[in-house]
Amino acid sequence: MSFVDSLMAGLSVVASFEAFFALFAGICIGVVGGAIPGLSATMAVALTLPFTFSLQPITGILLLLGVYKGGIFGGSIPAILIKTPGTPASSATILDGHPMAERGEAGRALGMALWASCTADVVSNLALILFAGWLASFALNFGPPEFFALILFSLTIIAGVSGDSLLRGALSALLGLLLATVGLDLVYGTNRFTFGDPNMMGGLNFIAVLIGLFAIPEIIAMAWNPTAHLGKARALGHTKVSFADYRRSFKSIIRGSFIGVFLGSIPGIGAAPSAFLSYSEARRKSPNKENFGKGEIEGVAASEAGNNGVAGATLIPLLALGVPGDVITAIIIGAFMIHGLQPGPMMFILNVDIIYGLFIGLIVSSVFLFIVGSVAIKGFRFVADVPKRILMPAVLVLCIYGVFAVNNNIFDVGVMFAMGWVGYGMLRYQIPAAPFLIAFILGPLLEDNFRQSMLMSSSDPAILLRGPITWFFWALTLITIIAIVRNIGKRAGA
Amino acid sequence: MGKSKGISVSPKAIQLRLGIAACLIAGFLTIVGIPGWVSSPSNVSNIVLSPTFWPYTLAALTGLTGFGLLLASRTASPIVDPEMAEVAAAAGWVRLAGLAVIMVLTMFALPRLGMVWTSMIVFAVTAFMFRTRHPIVALICAVVIPLALYAFFAHVAGVAIPQGIFVRLP
Amino acid sequence: MKFTKLTCAIALGTVFGAAAALAEYPERAINMVIPYGAGGATDISARTIAEPLGNAVGKPLIMANVTGAGGATGSVTVQNAKADGYTMLFARVGSHSVNPAMKATLPYTLDDFRFVTVYEINPVACAVTPASGINSMDDLIAKVAEGGVSYSSSGVGSLLHLAGAMVLKEFGVEDPLTAATHIPQKGGGAAATAVLNGTATFLCTNSSALASFVANGQLKPLMVTTAEPVVGFDAPTANELGKDRLNQLVGWTGIAGPAGLPDDVAGKWGEWMAAATQDTKFNETMTARGSVIRLMDPVEANEFIEGQYNVFRALVDELGMRIEG
Repeated sequence: MSFVDSLMAGLSVVASFEAFFALFAGICIGVVGGAIPGLSATMAVALTLPFTFSLQPITGILLLLGVYKGGIFGGSIPAILIKTPGTPASSATILDGHPMAERGEAGRALGMALWASCTADVVSNLALILFAGWLASFALNFGPPEFFALILFSLTIIAGVSGDSLLRGALSALLGLLLATVGLDLVYGTNRFTFGDPNMMGGLNFIAVLIGLFAIPEIIAMAWNPTAHLGKARALGHTKVSFADYRRSFKSIIRGSFIGVFLGSIPGIGAAPSAFLSYSEARRKSPNKENFGKGEIEGVAASEAGNNGVAGATLIPLLALGVPGDVITAIIIGAFMIHGLQPGPMMFILNVDIIYGLFIGLIVSSVFLFIVGSVAIKGFRFVADVPKRILMPAVLVLCIYGVFAVNNNIFDVGVMFAMGWVGYGMLRYQIPAAPFLIAFILGPLLEDNFRQSMLMSSSDPAILLRGPITWFFWALTLITIIAIVRNIGKRAGA
Repeated sequence: MGKSKGISVSPKAIQLRLGIAACLIAGFLTIVGIPGWVSSPSNVSNIVLSPTFWPYTLAALTGLTGFGLLLASRTASPIVDPEMAEVAAAAGWVRLAGLAVIMVLTMFALPRLGMVWTSMIVFAVTAFMFRTRHPIVALICAVVIPLALYAFFAHVAGVAIPQGIFVRLP
Repeated sequence: MKFTKLTCAIALGTVFGAAAALAEYPERAINMVIPYGAGGATDISARTIAEPLGNAVGKPLIMANVTGAGGATGSVTVQNAKADGYTMLFARVGSHSVNPAMKATLPYTLDDFRFVTVYEINPVACAVTPASGINSMDDLIAKVAEGGVSYSSSGVGSLLHLAGAMVLKEFGVEDPLTAATHIPQKGGGAAATAVLNGTATFLCTNSSALASFVANGQLKPLMVTTAEPVVGFDAPTANELGKDRLNQLVGWTGIAGPAGLPDDVAGKWGEWMAAATQDTKFNETMTARGSVIRLMDPVEANEFIEGQYNVFRALVDELGMRIEG
């Protein structure tokens, strides 16, 4: 079958009112779900899943994909407005988005988030359509040693988000790594720092730690000094993003999109590391490095491009290999199977109409996302105008509900509170929170892949250098570390 | 952006205190924490596969970072940044302690009172602790927001919001 | 927790009278705890039965995923809940027969739960990649003797972990723990991927988790553990290979309450499940995913789980797989 035939077959299944309506509805659900901290894109997709059982396969899957894409963008709304990321993927957006909102530029930050998201979405979808087969077979070359090297390299991001002291950044990262060891050991199943509590055996919930680290310290700081914010131009959420902003950040957006596509096509990494990597690369390349972390619009653009670039690309391992890249795609695979579709290489032969129908739907989804996102920004912008001393208690209550909902566990609310005090202590001692978070995400991956490699090779460390992919990432890591050391030298010399 | 969250301590003192804290954490983990709270089976074939290997590595790195911070503190400026300086108010400490108590009580009340009633109280108490300028609005929000969130989470999202044992909501 | 129970008892006793409250069971929505994450085998099974079951119950069922520690976190939630039938658990082979058999540190035992039903059986299949050159169980065993064979699992104490060791043991490998390396992964999806990309040699898991890889020719099934062949799996059954004991190695999903669950509540669940499993759509969906619908009453379910637990426990003790730390 030629490309045109496939395209027509795709059009024939997707060209119905229901399919596009489902996609549009999905994006609306996703944006709202993503914008509610704790509900997150994952939960929104899981909650929508049962509704797809009775729909046509393509309609049901488009509904879920809409929720997914909408959710990843929606997460940036509370990240910017109330420093509470709606989904883990939007935690990098806080770094510059929230300072912008504090400065009275919430509208501009949100607008940029939307533009960057949609651009990255398009890039990601095109990558899926054009390179799915190629990227998928590449991703299958990633065993534990390759993962280990990639994650080691990703940890160098920490230097980029450490602020003015690398040592304090390192301390923050180490605390994150230590906290991530809580739970059952991967290889032997023994307890590590669980104190016999079954709630601790599963490890500390990521969202609880995330919200505790970012949102709660703001509330505690407000208790310390309730009037600190007065006199600041916060209540001016009506600035808009300009085309000049977009053009200035365009390079970072495209770079972020490609980082997202690359990390998304490898199963098991997810959107949050991608956003941070994109952010730190943008900062490294930017002429006004110093501004990052203080409300630089390019930082918002890079983070959002990084996480939305993942959204289309995670479908690459899903469609081409039948392998879910993250929790959300694991749920979407469930939807395929319920309709009797078996994602994998054969699907490109047996169900070409569905594959191309999905492609067409995905392209359209970027446009829908732009429309829904614009409306959502107008709707949510009022949050920036709410008096802060009413907003903060509301955020606290919202966080309690949201963190509970993630895993239906009251214990997680306690984790959030405890992390809030840790975060507040870090704030007062000028320890950056971002390295903590990155380390908390990447630490378990680093350790697990190291130990899996050791199991594979009967503890022969040579396996960590087993092929070109590992050499490439080791080299990148070395180069980055040398660059960081030089930078320190320069600063010390100056 | 003028940070009001900083403390009136010089960069030198910050590095020094953090350095000491990091060394203490590292020491505590190595001597008490890891041997006591990380269990390792007796039949571990290789030291790098042991469940304690990674925590020990991290403890060692934390210790190193601590020494680094101590070293850096020697060259750091002992002068307090006037922008960072602020008067430590006794009232601030009282409110911090108050918030801590609220959080502990929240954890105690959540399974007993239920999430809706607890969050209403939390909202009202924190709003007044922050000395809000709109007390009536705060009270209305304290009632409406938890109810609205309950309606959404329980009936739209299908989450089993803890109900408590006294008054059950539909 | 004790305080809660006490207050509950007082509140119930004074306001409704405990007996009256139970007579009207269920008078409100029932919390159904799913101890595994969204999108997993347990989650999909639970959410598929939720609709017909909800119709039979007549009150809403609230599905709550409480994930963590291989199903232990969610199970403990139900273990500690009031035994009034308003908090029930979707128990699974991993959380309620493999985990208790393998983990001395588990905060619960089988006696802490009362099973009201087991409604679904999942055959287990073992598979390798076609590129490995392994075409039968005999080939695999020969490879094990050469050394360098590994198997992936979704974590320590999962069905996959035990299954790998049990299958090798049944096929005559004396000490499967040293003869083959266990490479744990995080989750079932990652376990299958590990075999796909050559990190591990084989895995044994629920046939539903392998169906799409087998259909796509990415994985090659070597054996299924049921007595009857599994649709879509071109592989011999355990019985055809003369290993009848492996019939015990199957996945299942059931519903359990805390240990003190009253008899009339358990009885009601029996009726509801009988009605729910008659639903044609439920049957179609589950069969399409490779499950076998088999409804057991409380007595039968308890016997089935005890039986499986004892087989697993004997194996674990023989091989020294028990986790004490």
